[in-house]
Amino acid sequence: MNHQPFEDWLLNDKNLTSPEKRELDLHLRTCTHCTALSATGLALRSANVIAPAAGFTVRFQERLAIQKVAERRRKLWGMMVLLIGGAGLLSWFAAPYIYTFISSPVEWFTAAIGYFLFIITSLQALTQVVSVLARILPDFIPPYMWMVFISALAGFGLLWTISIWRFSRRTPQGVSA
Amino acid sequence: MNEEMAWVIQAQQGSDEAFTHLVETYQTPVFNLCYRMLGEPDLAEDAAQETFLRAFQHLHRYDQKRPFATWLLSIAAHYCIDRLRRRKFSMFSMDAEDDEGNTFELPDPDSPDPEAESVKGQTRDRIQAMLKDLDNTDRAAIIMRYWYDYSEAEIAESLRLTVSAVKSRLHRARKELAGLWQEEETRAETERRPYESPAF
Repeated sequence: MNHQPFEDWLLNDKNLTSPEKRELDLHLRTCTHCTALSATGLALRSANVIAPAAGFTVRFQERLAIQKVAERRRKLWGMMVLLIGGAGLLSWFAAPYIYTFISSPVEWFTAAIGYFLFIITSLQALTQVVSVLARILPDFIPPYMWMVFISALAGFGLLWTISIWRFSRRTPQGVSA
Repeated sequence: MNEEMAWVIQAQQGSDEAFTHLVETYQTPVFNLCYRMLGEPDLAEDAAQETFLRAFQHLHRYDQKRPFATWLLSIAAHYCIDRLRRRKFSMFSMDAEDDEGNTFELPDPDSPDPEAESVKGQTRDRIQAMLKDLDNTDRAAIIMRYWYDYSEAEIAESLRLTVSAVKSRLHRARKELAGLWQEEETRAETERRPYESPAF
């Protein structure tokens, strides 16, 4: 028998029968490559398992506690930065309005009531336009166009949901479900 | 439901005590994998601790249909591969060295026969020294195969490879190890020869 089958037996860690073992022993006397393969296989199979130094679990618990404190601190700092930043941005945008409100409150109240009335009347007008369109449009737009429109909306919705799902499922290297 | 799965479920519900049981159970396999991958006890300790931290943080992602050990060792292997990749660009040696550059051996706490342990230790060091010459992923595959008796399918799942890729990586790594073994044998023989008596 030539060299290749013996190499395959050794590489695949094949369970050998007695005649096969004898054949392999004969081959090992003449083939240095297969002898090395056999020796490394034996060495790998007999290599022992190394245990960590005593107290590994205690050291892990300490590390976990430190990690938890650091995580809490990071969250707190994040929240504070967000709150202070948000408050700063809001006050920067609102400063001119607050200033005018403090200097002439009556004028501001009149303007605010005017805006409020404008929004209410605009909403009423919009409702009327929508109800008129809802009565007229179905006669002009064929049903299949409605179906295309609704399908496109559903497609976009699905795409958006999948993107968010994929983004939220991102995990560090090696950690998988 | 076995005890381990009960711990996993309790840990997923936020029990630190249950997770501690898991750490106690798997500290040796995880440490051994990290040591075989990184070659230094200090780095292995750090990597093993980091593996458990990552597992703790992402325990909600663990799929109970998979064996917990496979999931954990997969995290450890990926972490070590990533760390080795980063270390490749630094100047540190893979050998276990102290501050003065001297190599040291791991103490064997329960060694009954010093001579036999010394021979075993030499083979162990030889294998460990040869492992460092392998490609990172090949090394992980070899460790999973020979230290944990993982099947090719389990290795493929852990290292996110195909079964055929695992098979070819294992073969390549075994051939490389055999080559290194042969080189060392030749070197040892050359070193021995000058001291041998010419009569023999």
